Amino acid sequence: MRGDAMEKSGDQAPDGARRSFFAWLIMASAGLIGISLAVPLGGYVVSPALKRREKSWVDAGPVADLPLGEPTQRDLVMTLADGYREIAAAKGIWALRRETNEVTVYSPICTHLGCGYRWDGAEKKFKCPCHGSMFDIEGKVVGGPAPRPLDRLPVKIENGRLMVKYEEFKSGTKEQVEI
Amino acid sequence: MASRIYEWLDSRLKLKPVKETLLDEPIPGGASWIYVFGSATLFLFSLQAITGMFLAVYYAPTPDHAYDSIRYIETQVLFGAFVRGLHHWGASAMVVAIGLHMLQVFLYGAYKPPREAMWIVGVLLLLLTMGFAFTGYLLPWDQNAYWATQVGINMVGSVPFVGTFLVKVMRGGDMLGVLTLSRFFAVHVLFLPAGIMVLVALHMFILRRVGPAGPWAGAFERRGKRGDPSMRQAAPEEGSPPGERRAHRSEPFYPRQVFMDAVVMLGVFAVVATLALTIAFPLTDKANPSDHSFIPVPEWYFLFYYQFLKYMEGPILGPIATWVIPALFIGLLLALPFLDPSKDRAPSSRRAVLGLGAFFLAGVFALVGLSLHDLQAMKRTDPAVASGNALYERFGCAGCHRIHGTGGAVGPDLSYVGDNRDRDWLIRHFRDPQSTSPGSIMPKFNLDEQQLSDLTVYMLSLKKRA
Repeated sequence: MRGDAMEKSGDQAPDGARRSFFAWLIMASAGLIGISLAVPLGGYVVSPALKRREKSWVDAGPVADLPLGEPTQRDLVMTLADGYREIAAAKGIWALRRETNEVTVYSPICTHLGCGYRWDGAEKKFKCPCHGSMFDIEGKVVGGPAPRPLDRLPVKIENGRLMVKYEEFKSGTKEQVEI
Repeated sequence: MASRIYEWLDSRLKLKPVKETLLDEPIPGGASWIYVFGSATLFLFSLQAITGMFLAVYYAPTPDHAYDSIRYIETQVLFGAFVRGLHHWGASAMVVAIGLHMLQVFLYGAYKPPREAMWIVGVLLLLLTMGFAFTGYLLPWDQNAYWATQVGINMVGSVPFVGTFLVKVMRGGDMLGVLTLSRFFAVHVLFLPAGIMVLVALHMFILRRVGPAGPWAGAFERRGKRGDPSMRQAAPEEGSPPGERRAHRSEPFYPRQVFMDAVVMLGVFAVVATLALTIAFPLTDKANPSDHSFIPVPEWYFLFYYQFLKYMEGPILGPIATWVIPALFIGLLLALPFLDPSKDRAPSSRRAVLGLGAFFLAGVFALVGLSLHDLQAMKRTDPAVASGNALYERFGCAGCHRIHGTGGAVGPDLSYVGDNRDRDWLIRHFRDPQSTSPGSIMPKFNLDEQQLSDLTVYMLSLKKRA
């Protein structure tokens, strides 16, 4: 509030200038306290939202045990920081070992609305039970409402063991957006 | 802009009388810096309420998570240590503000008729504030919190007949545990705030109905310059007590008193924020119910009582100190307006009461002084430091080394060794003194890992400033 505004409403003060000076000082004190509180408290509430999830390579077992050309589910057991607790989480990723001994790993979450899908060995398709999305062995959409192919996860092979970095992506979008 | 919004609202809500009620309350004798303590207390309560709400965003009231959630606030959340610091130091500041507010009311005899009800509600507010202090102390669930609360609850157990029952109710069972923490949390953040808001409203309502007391009779003439245009002549109020039924100068609450209150609030906030930024308030170790060696120390505002309890031991003196005297004291506070009912508020005619107050204050400060003296002499030690100290004795280290003037002068003085050496150096040194200090004549002691660690912790505790 500006001083002149206060002056107008300050109908009781015999000396308007002094009264509005006091009004200005009162507002300034209140404003100073308010800002000094609002900034830290805002940061305090928002800060965990800005933190990025820490990702590390997780051991998904020996590569040699994966059948050639047939997607197989492997459990990725990892420790996740959940605020002030650490929780053990198991994510059932889909791993596909190729003739070249390269491995492709798909995120286990359907790109449509986030359900878990299964590999149908007879039809050679990944099928999502929720809304009927279907993907071929390369992850391409071959049916249903899924907006984009299956998400691939970063992979490397160390000493014959499959190492995977677990990531999550927004479901329902055409583009792949990491969350 | 602001005035147009005000006019728009005023034409609908008829704000003018509200504004007059809020801002034009007459202050007898004029605005004064001596009247700011009530507002300062209310401001600090608001600060506690706000910071408390924000702490609750992350805090988890269970023994499994309470400590970790506070540590998370301290170390991971942006401004977390600051927000917790504001809440911690704000609590201390609130005790100071309440003390000064009560002292002012006491000195000015403002508890006397017709303001007895305001005083009684004020005493109840004091009790609720102590309830906040007691219940809030447990919430971090660290060693100090756990054991200080254990002591506090046990004191309630000394009340005859119902003591044991009360203790069980407070704990929610036989032990201080998960049920205790959740009920302390609920009381701290739900029950007490609801109660204190009702009583604050009542306190203010009575203030506005009865009016502030102002200076005692005879002091009016000295207050306020003659001809000050902000002062106005107040007509003697109908129904005001005879001692006050005389024409005296008064001044509306706004702007000068509001200004003084605002300046003091800003000052108080600056002090609390500075303390929160500069003095860390670290957690002690996580509460360990099986560690009976931990000696808790209460907050400074309970120190006088903590010290008093030390002198009152035994089957008769003990209970007198733990419940008879507190009960009598609260009773005395509540009854004060009726025990001292004369309407004359001038200090010269209240020597006995003021003397009693001075005696009480002198006692409190003396006890705080003694307590601080004792605490400095008896450093609170964690078990590792204590066992490191025991090893130092056992291996005869004092034969060569000196700590604060005790021990030989063959080896280096260790009084402040914690300032100069780090943990790694000390551990390597104890394993093999010559590896870090070539030419040292210090023998190699065969210490196991635990002993190495304890002795190192003890060495690191030897600092100029703990």
